[in-house]
Amino acid sequence: MEKRLIKVTINGKLRELFVKSNDLLLNVLRNDLNLMGTKYGCGIGECGACTVLLDGQTVLACLILAVTVDGQEITTIEGMGDPVQLHPLQESFIEHGAVQCGFCTPGMLLAGEALLKENPNPSEEEIREYLRGNLCRCTGYAAIVKAIKSEAKSQSADPGTLSE
Amino acid sequence: MDFQVIGKVLPRKDGIAKVCGKEPFASDIVVPHMLYAVTLRSEHAHAEIIKIDTSEAESMGAVCITPTEVPDFTYNERTVSIPEKTFCDRKVLPRRVRHVGEAIAAVAAETEELAFRAMQAIKVEYNVLPSVLDPEEAMQPEAASLYDEILLGKQQLKVKNNVACERNIVIGDPEAGFAAADYIVERDYDLPRIYHHQMETKTVVCQPEANGGITIWTTTQTIHNVRQLLGQIFELPLSKINVKKLSIGGSFGSSIQMNSMIPICVALALKARCPVKLVSSREDDIHDHVKFPARIKLKVGVTKDAKIVAADMRVLVDIGAHQINSYPLLGCMSGWYASLYKWQDFRFDGTAVYTNKVPGCAMQGYGNPEVNFAVESHMDVIANECGFDPIEFRLKNYVGIGDEFWGQGPTVKSIIKSCGVEEMLTVGAEKIGWSERRSSQAKTGRYRKGVGIARGFHTSGTGGPKPGEVIDYSSATIKINEDGTVDVLSPVMDLGGGTGEATVKVVAELLKVPYDKVELAIVDTRTTGYDVNTHATRGVYCGCGAALHVAKQVKIKLLEFASRILEENPDDLDLSYEPEDNKTIIHVKRFKQKQISIGEVAKLAQIYSWGTIAVSDSYRQRNCPPCFVAHFIEVEVDTWTGIVKVPRAILLADSGTPINPDMLEGQLIGSLSRGLGYAAYESTENDLETGKLLCGGFITDNKIPTSCEMPLMDNIQVYFAHTYEPTGPFGAKGIGEAALNSVAAAYANAIYNAIGIRFYQTPITPERILQALEGGASVEN
Repeated sequence: MEKRLIKVTINGKLRELFVKSNDLLLNVLRNDLNLMGTKYGCGIGECGACTVLLDGQTVLACLILAVTVDGQEITTIEGMGDPVQLHPLQESFIEHGAVQCGFCTPGMLLAGEALLKENPNPSEEEIREYLRGNLCRCTGYAAIVKAIKSEAKSQSADPGTLSE
Repeated sequence: MDFQVIGKVLPRKDGIAKVCGKEPFASDIVVPHMLYAVTLRSEHAHAEIIKIDTSEAESMGAVCITPTEVPDFTYNERTVSIPEKTFCDRKVLPRRVRHVGEAIAAVAAETEELAFRAMQAIKVEYNVLPSVLDPEEAMQPEAASLYDEILLGKQQLKVKNNVACERNIVIGDPEAGFAAADYIVERDYDLPRIYHHQMETKTVVCQPEANGGITIWTTTQTIHNVRQLLGQIFELPLSKINVKKLSIGGSFGSSIQMNSMIPICVALALKARCPVKLVSSREDDIHDHVKFPARIKLKVGVTKDAKIVAADMRVLVDIGAHQINSYPLLGCMSGWYASLYKWQDFRFDGTAVYTNKVPGCAMQGYGNPEVNFAVESHMDVIANECGFDPIEFRLKNYVGIGDEFWGQGPTVKSIIKSCGVEEMLTVGAEKIGWSERRSSQAKTGRYRKGVGIARGFHTSGTGGPKPGEVIDYSSATIKINEDGTVDVLSPVMDLGGGTGEATVKVVAELLKVPYDKVELAIVDTRTTGYDVNTHATRGVYCGCGAALHVAKQVKIKLLEFASRILEENPDDLDLSYEPEDNKTIIHVKRFKQKQISIGEVAKLAQIYSWGTIAVSDSYRQRNCPPCFVAHFIEVEVDTWTGIVKVPRAILLADSGTPINPDMLEGQLIGSLSRGLGYAAYESTENDLETGKLLCGGFITDNKIPTSCEMPLMDNIQVYFAHTYEPTGPFGAKGIGEAALNSVAAAYANAIYNAIGIRFYQTPITPERILQALEGGASVEN
């Protein structure tokens, strides 16, 4: 199949990629770019393990054709923070025991990050509703919800954030 | 007890890698020049394969394997039982398929897409056979049979009426017991097949090595059993098979065995002579294993003063197309039943039956949630019928301290030495407001609340004073580095629950080293001694037991080397941690001024050429202490829609000393979610005509709880009983499976308390509730 050139900003870096018109974004991220933090869980949009941010909005990389993201900006878990400089939400996940097997964790973190951008001080119900599409079989979700809630609190307590 | 690191909340060792998406799972492994594999799966429930034509697939450039091209070896995926108690019926690729979705051929190609297209190009000619899909019909003489013969160990065994195996146990004289009873209560219970739904689908990567060996990265709970079974199947020396230990994306029993896709991938890699990666699609994965279902008939005799005098349990397990340790399953179910209450005289009859369905395998609890649902529902039924308080009735009859516990059926037993049952029931009752509980008759209106209690347990490991039918021991290697840091090499898989952190804490505690100076090494089957499996809630009790056993020997070695340097008797020396210097020192007892750090000892031992301070050893726990739990659950039933909410849940655990209190809490809350799924939503059933899964393999039609079904954070209360297990590492027992076992019964008991309708079958779906309400179901009491 013929390949097409797309230009995508991935984790802040502009990349030129040749992709087939039936290549899924999930496979391009994992197989071509070695960004293994985006997980395959079902391939048909049922589990949320492949959640990434497309221009800041959560999308499922297994449902998106790579050619359609031409000119857009993608954030994967690798772009959220790194071991030397963790994102505060990543720190909060560790602190609140929100990680067990860790397979849903990247998707949960990106969903949590998108939520806090949309709604800096969500209620517990709003957090749970937002995470409805991200399945976790280990934690029972409570620690994940707690980690996001706690991070929301510390953000809203920060005057720098309030003045935005 | 005053501990330095045990019981402290500390960041998990793999936490940073996991939140950064950098922790490698089997599905993330990429090997240069690897091919991608896909399996072709049967569309029939039962059929002989006449012919498989792979020519078109091969002309596309794919490498194919069919049943005639793989070793003709009969095996059982799960090898934790001793060989003479292992029933084997499975082939790498079968010539006769026995369930829809069974893999019959496989292809590998340069891209996933090409592999998939090649798989679709394979032509299979089947001779479709009549199938059996109901376990009771399967035992009728006219039913089609799945097997004529299987193997028990190496002996051939005829299969009659599709009965895979049976276990019949009688203790005392149950008939005499029932004759002495004032009340006899009898009910039937029905527990469904459900899917594990671990987030990472089963995966394997196999790399053939230049020396004729293979390297394996796979989703498993047991690297050593994978290695040994592959050695048997492919007749390879174990020294040439290396299985890597990796994180696993959830398991819950789904990878407790050497998954059947592993030898398929190995066969492909050996034929292709290059690395092959096989990742199950979610649909493949759902067709691979389910939780064992159970139909349970339970009869219990009680006297007027609430004393149980006899019991009789008949269990029928529809194991599907293959035995994945259904014989020990029946034994364990007898044990879970025998160890809940003092039945006095009792009987257990268990039968496992083959049907043309997805094979059943262990899933969190290994028969315990099934038995627990029956017994703990039954305790409520008896209490209601005979006018006993459900909690007092339980306290009067439970198996507790000083009693015998069947940790793994009738052959693995030990005496209970720690027990928090009474404390948990008392505290739980207080927290939920048990004394204010009203009967369902007092409730009116659209929304009706109810409170239910159930209690349970699981074994911690499968050890006993004498070896039984199940292998149980673990190993560890511990090394003191020349700067005083510590390497721990453990074969024990951490399924996400924190076994790895517990191992680090146990070693750190014994050697008085801070948590951040102890690391878990990246290991494989070559660099570790044997560990049977992370199953049977044995990670902490047995795995950490082995680590503690080895750490004690390392301490002796450290003190011996230090005694040479300090010119003191080793018996006069001790270890302690000095927080000001962040150092572990060896000092003369009661004379701390004379000291040396363990790093200096290790460094001097190197300079003087005494050797590395390291020990490697194995250890078997000779007990199987029960970790007890209790669940108090509040439900709110919408009598118009049948939808049930869970406003509150009190989760109580007696896990001995909590080594990782945060992760223990996480296990309890996670199990609440899975338990609610089992109680209210999940059922992976088959079309009884075609044998196909009704969900077709899709999550959408096989739902699990989401974030929205849990009680609010503040309404989940967790409580740890104050117990100390004398045989456990620093007093610890397990928790993993126990955490789930009594959730479903507590839920059903709460629904009864809300609307007066008793459900004997799970899942208790809104449809079933409405049907019962509209059908004017008999309201007991």
